[in-house]
Amino acid sequence: MEFDEMKKIWDAQNNQPLYVIDEKALHNRIQSKMNSVLRLSNFSDWLLILIFLGTGIVLLGRNPFNPGANIFMYLGAAWMFATVVYLVVNHIRRIKASRQFDRSIRGDLNHAISLAGYQVRLSQIIRWNLLPMGAIMILSGWEAGKLLSVGAVILVSNILAFYVSSKGLRVNKRRKRELQVLKEKLEAGN
Amino acid sequence: MTEKEQLDILEEWLKLHKGLIFKVVRAYTITDHDDLFQEIIIQVWHSIPAFRQESSVTTWLYRISLNTAIKWTKKEKKYSGAETLDNVQHLLQENRTAIDERLSWLYGEIYKLDEIDRSVFLLLLEGFSYKEMSAMLGISESNVGVKINRIKKQLIAKSKNYDNHGI
Repeated sequence: MEFDEMKKIWDAQNNQPLYVIDEKALHNRIQSKMNSVLRLSNFSDWLLILIFLGTGIVLLGRNPFNPGANIFMYLGAAWMFATVVYLVVNHIRRIKASRQFDRSIRGDLNHAISLAGYQVRLSQIIRWNLLPMGAIMILSGWEAGKLLSVGAVILVSNILAFYVSSKGLRVNKRRKRELQVLKEKLEAGN
Repeated sequence: MTEKEQLDILEEWLKLHKGLIFKVVRAYTITDHDDLFQEIIIQVWHSIPAFRQESSVTTWLYRISLNTAIKWTKKEKKYSGAETLDNVQHLLQENRTAIDERLSWLYGEIYKLDEIDRSVFLLLLEGFSYKEMSAMLGISESNVGVKINRIKKQLIAKSKNYDNHGI
């Protein structure tokens, strides 16, 4: 066989699809990705609810017995409970919204993308929530005359929380992008 | 560039040129077609904002696909055996109705070449000039020429053996 013939054989493939998609394997893979995002979403929802609820209760509970108690501590507790309400409402909305997706490949993929988008939004909101919480805590320390020590603790914990949420945000953004690319790939293949 | 614009471009490129990516995938892996395909698509997606239209889309896609395939092959060699169950479930299957045995033979022989020779021969079959290949692969034009002569001789000799035995 000469090179020209190889070239002809090579060029002939352009007129025929080389591959077909194994739909069952594809559906399994999408379901596995969706379940992984779903588990992560449930875990992070409950973890955040517990953290904010716990912190709010601690702030509120110890305040009446604390000689250094002040209005900002009550404000901090109220903010924590408001965040919990927000998280619970979002959690319920997410579960309700998940019922609109059918169990087809496209439905599961759209569900996975929607969950990844939810995780991205949640990470962003939690990150921005650090600002008012930090401000309230600093004011509370200032009111109690412990601005330096409280301020230092808030600064360090906020930097840590910011770092962790940034990492989570990057992971979730990447996951969402990968799912969107997969969706585009499938739509282009149809 | 917004994410939406990026997705529109990706969709357009895939519609027009996904055959090109399939060829690279098939030349660089026997079993993990879907994984390499997905990896290339992700790299193409990342590359879209950097595309300045100084070269054609085809040239750009070949550059990205071949570089990704070469890196991926090296990584796979290094971490072979680390596949998860999720990874071994292959999404893309050869379209059996469209198989030409001679084409399968050609892909098999291309796969046996080393990573750079594979790229050179793929680009030659796709009709790229020595200059374009040199720019895409980062090797001199004369080196491209030497490689092409050697690969052509090697494959023509092997094809005689194939022709004699037939399949």
